[in-house]
Parts: sequence; structure tokens; C-alpha cells
Amino acid sequence: MTNDSPIVHDPLLRVVAIKKNFGAVVALEDVALQIPRGEITGLVGDNGAGKSTLIKIISGVLTPDSGMIEFEGKAANFASPAEARVQGIETVYQDLALVWNLPVWANVYLGRELTYGPKFMHILDKPAMHSTTNNMLKRFVRAVPPVGESVEFLSGGQRQVVAIARAGAWGSKLILMDEPTAALGIAETKAVEDVIFGLKQQGLTILVISHNLDQIFRITDGIWVLRRGGVIGYRQTARTRPEEIVSMITGAATLSRTSS
Amino acid sequence: MTAAGRWTPLFVLAGRHGVLIVFVLLVAVMFVSKSTFGTYQNLVNVLQQNSVIGIIACGMTFAIILGGFDLSVGSVTALASVVGATLMIDIGTFGIPAGILGAVVSCLIVGATNGWLIAYLGVNPFVATLGTMTVVRGLLYVATNASPRFGVPYSFTNVGLGYLLGVPIPAILFLLVALLLGFVLHRTRFGHYVYAVGGNALASAEMGIDAARVRFAVYVLVSACASVSGIILIGQTASATPQAALGYELTAIAAVIVGGASLGGGRGRMAGTIVGVFLLGVVANGLNLFGVSPFWQPVATGLILIAAVAFDGYSKRGGFASV
Repeated sequence: MTNDSPIVHDPLLRVVAIKKNFGAVVALEDVALQIPRGEITGLVGDNGAGKSTLIKIISGVLTPDSGMIEFEGKAANFASPAEARVQGIETVYQDLALVWNLPVWANVYLGRELTYGPKFMHILDKPAMHSTTNNMLKRFVRAVPPVGESVEFLSGGQRQVVAIARAGAWGSKLILMDEPTAALGIAETKAVEDVIFGLKQQGLTILVISHNLDQIFRITDGIWVLRRGGVIGYRQTARTRPEEIVSMITGAATLSRTSS
Repeated sequence: MTAAGRWTPLFVLAGRHGVLIVFVLLVAVMFVSKSTFGTYQNLVNVLQQNSVIGIIACGMTFAIILGGFDLSVGSVTALASVVGATLMIDIGTFGIPAGILGAVVSCLIVGATNGWLIAYLGVNPFVATLGTMTVVRGLLYVATNASPRFGVPYSFTNVGLGYLLGVPIPAILFLLVALLLGFVLHRTRFGHYVYAVGGNALASAEMGIDAARVRFAVYVLVSACASVSGIILIGQTASATPQAALGYELTAIAAVIVGGASLGGGRGRMAGTIVGVFLLGVVANGLNLFGVSPFWQPVATGLILIAAVAFDGYSKRGGFASV
């Protein structure tokens, strides 16, 4: 047995025989994988390999044609992102899902506002939200952006930090990220990676899509490789090299897999 | 400290409260230059004349912060006036409550139609409300043969022309609507969601906000405001007038924009709208007091609108140059 270990003991999430077609196009074909608890797992593959489709199925945006998702040992095919969120699966969207004209605290509480008074009125408890946001984000972020500032006045990296820390702030267990640093500079990428490590330190499990292999090797504990809608294999990051992952992504890996 | 540095706080102040400052200066100038301006009768006139448009503008503030607008409000106001007054004229006893109820219900139907088209069918707000604006006005002309009907019970003119403690009843209604909707917009979760959906509808939906429901509710709310204005118009004219409130939609939108809201959505305040309404109202009143032809009034409104938007862009970018 090499470092190829598709069986993960007590995984947080198991994907079993997922199939998804878009019309005649096969997006995912018999995909099965496991996400280890408390680790940062990378999901890599070329364009069209099915990474984003898989993430959308896990987060409840898409429903699979067949197959199932198991979360914490229980069958969990989510009909909507809201259902997945209730179970503790948060998604950091590529567009960050931030409302720019609202302050940081309002974005952190977006869709989960604290209210008081009669139920039909839902009067906002702005002071409570404003004063608790800093502590919520401080668990994952060393330099919390000013919580009263509108998101439009933050830098690109600070926005990303807010979006990611928000995902962790709500008692979630699994965080899905699709290209979290695609548009960022070096320093900002570093800040975002620090937040991802902060989430891991708090015991959260993270599944991250990235095209940047350097980054995948910097931050992940394990890597799943997809190609043309199928799973090629899993590698523990510490026991593989970028060359191997590249060959798995491009297809040269079929050789190395049979030989090992 | 440089000169620019010393003046920066003033620019910030002007940028944040520009309309209010202009309004206060305007009122001060009017007080000094025209003795008739400050009389009780004239101030009451200003309140009386701007309450109908003000109530519509309160509702329009929601639609504009949401990133849309509602062109049908003028027609809907006329609808309330025609339906309400006709019921009051034709039904003997209980004609007045029946008229009020009929006016509100008919307006809510139009509002729900707007909301359904925009929120659930994805029709552009301009197209949807232009459509209902035209259809409703056309139906009113068909139903009334384009001529007003008189005979509303005299007692009801109190709503349009009466006073309570020396304040015109329409102004009191305007104040109540403004306070209520200001509270809803700035203090409740619903108002918060209007800002969120107006700022970024996709992000709001991704975070679990039912953006379509918020949109639907806002367009119903705008029509509800128009129905209140229509009922006041019945009290002011004692008649069912199918030509009522022509062009009010554009005046209301102008007042909201002058008050600092942005057509791009996500920005605006209820207090700004109130100042916007009275800024346009005092200018109209001033032109009138100085004996300028009323035909100049739209010219003034348009110029103020352009100046307000240009200044807003100037203070945001720090210069007039395009970005």
C-alpha cells in the first residue's frame, strides 16, 4: 500500500456513487470520496473535471441524479443551501456573497439577523450584532477588519477574510470553498490562507477547490483528484509531489496507479 | 496643515448632509427675502401641497433602495381617487368606509401585480410598471369616459382640507406615514433586507434571504402609499378624477433621488426623502411667491435633480472627471 488511501476512517462526509448529467453531458460519473474530519482537503482537476458540480451537490445547490451524500454518518441529500447550512455545511461563494453597501457586521449576520420585539416586526438588534461581530471573527482572524465599515471600503483580501470567517462563525462543521484566492495578490492570499488555518485550528473541516497547486501543497492535508467527472485518486499531501498530482490531473497517472 | 486638509471636514459634512444644508439655506433666504413666505397661511400651503407627493415618495424610497422604481404610482393614485370617490357617491350609508376600503383594495391589486411581474416573472421594473401605469390610466378613462364625477359627501373634504390643531390633515397623514415607514426601513429586518437585496440580490439569496418575497412586498407597499395619497385627493377635490396625479411618479422619484438615494440601489434614507420633497416644494412655492409662471416649476425641479445627482457623484469621486 502506498500513500493512496481512499478509505478514510470516520470521515465527516462521504460521497457515494454520485452521478450527475446536464442533458447529454456527463458531469459526474460514479463519484465516491470521503472528507476526513478536521482536515483541509483539496479538490483538484482540470476545467470540466466536475469539481464545482460536486461542491454544488454537497452544498445543496444541485441535486444528484443518483447516489448519496452521507454527513456525520447520516444520509443527507440537501434540497437547498439552507438545508445544508442548518446541518453545518457552509459555502464560501466565488462572488463572496457580500453586500457591499452594508457594514461588516451586517454581512456577517446577513440572513441570520438578531431581532427583538413582536415576531411580525422583527426589530433589528443592531448594537448587539455590531458588538459581537468582532469576537466572532477574532476566533479565526488575527487582524479583524473594522466591523462598522462598509464592505465596499475594504481591500479585496479583507473582503475574502470576512466571507471565510463568516462561514466559520456560525457553528458550522464543514466549509466548502471554490477558488478562495483566485483574484488576490500575494500578501492577500497569505492572509486568506491564515484564516483557513484558523478555521482548521478551531476544529473545522475544509474542502477547497484551487487551480493553484503551490497553494494546495501549502494548505491541504490530503488531495482528491478528479478527471472528466470521475475520481482518479486520493493522496496525502505530505506523501506526494506536485508532479504526481499533475500527472493524475492530466491523465498520465493511469500508468503510475497501476504500477504502484 | 494644508488648506485642503483644513476644509476636508466641511466637504465631508457637505457630502453627507448636502441636501439638508441646501434646504436650510433656501428656507433662510426665503424667510429673509419674502415676508409672505413665513406666514402661517403660506407654510400651511406648502405642507398641504406636498403631502400627497410626500406619501408617494415615502413608498418610492423603498422601491429605489431596492434597485428599482415604480412608474405606476400616479395612475394608482388616480385609481384610488376614482374607485373611492365613486363608491362614496353611489353608496348611501357607509359610502365613506366602503370607498376607503375599495380604494385601498384596488391599489393593492395593482401593487401585487407589479410585485408578481417583477419579483416572480423577472420583468424589468421599468417595463412592468410602465405597463401597469398605462393600463390602469387607460381603464380609468374607459370607466369614467375621461370625465370627473362630483358628489362626494361634504364631510369627507376634511380629509383633504381639514385641520387638526392648526395643522393640515394631509400633513399629519404624511407625518404618520413617514414615521411608520422610516421605522420599517431603518429599524426592522424587512427594511434591512430591502438594503441587502438592493445592494446585492445574488449575495442576499445565497445567504438565505427570500429576495423575491422582499421585492413583492415592496411593490405592494408602494401602491399602498399611493392609495393613501389617492384618498387624500378625494378629500381635496370632492370628486372622482381620472386625470388626477398625472406625472406624480416622476416628481416622487425626483424627490427621492434629490434626497440622496441612488437609482443603482442599496442607498437612501427616509429622512433624505422628506428633505427632498420639501426642497422641491419650497422651490415651487418660492417661484410662485415671486410671481414666476408655474410653467417654470418643472424646469426648476429638473435642474435641482441634475444638480443633486451631479454633486453626489462629485462628492463620491472627489472630482467631476469620469472614472
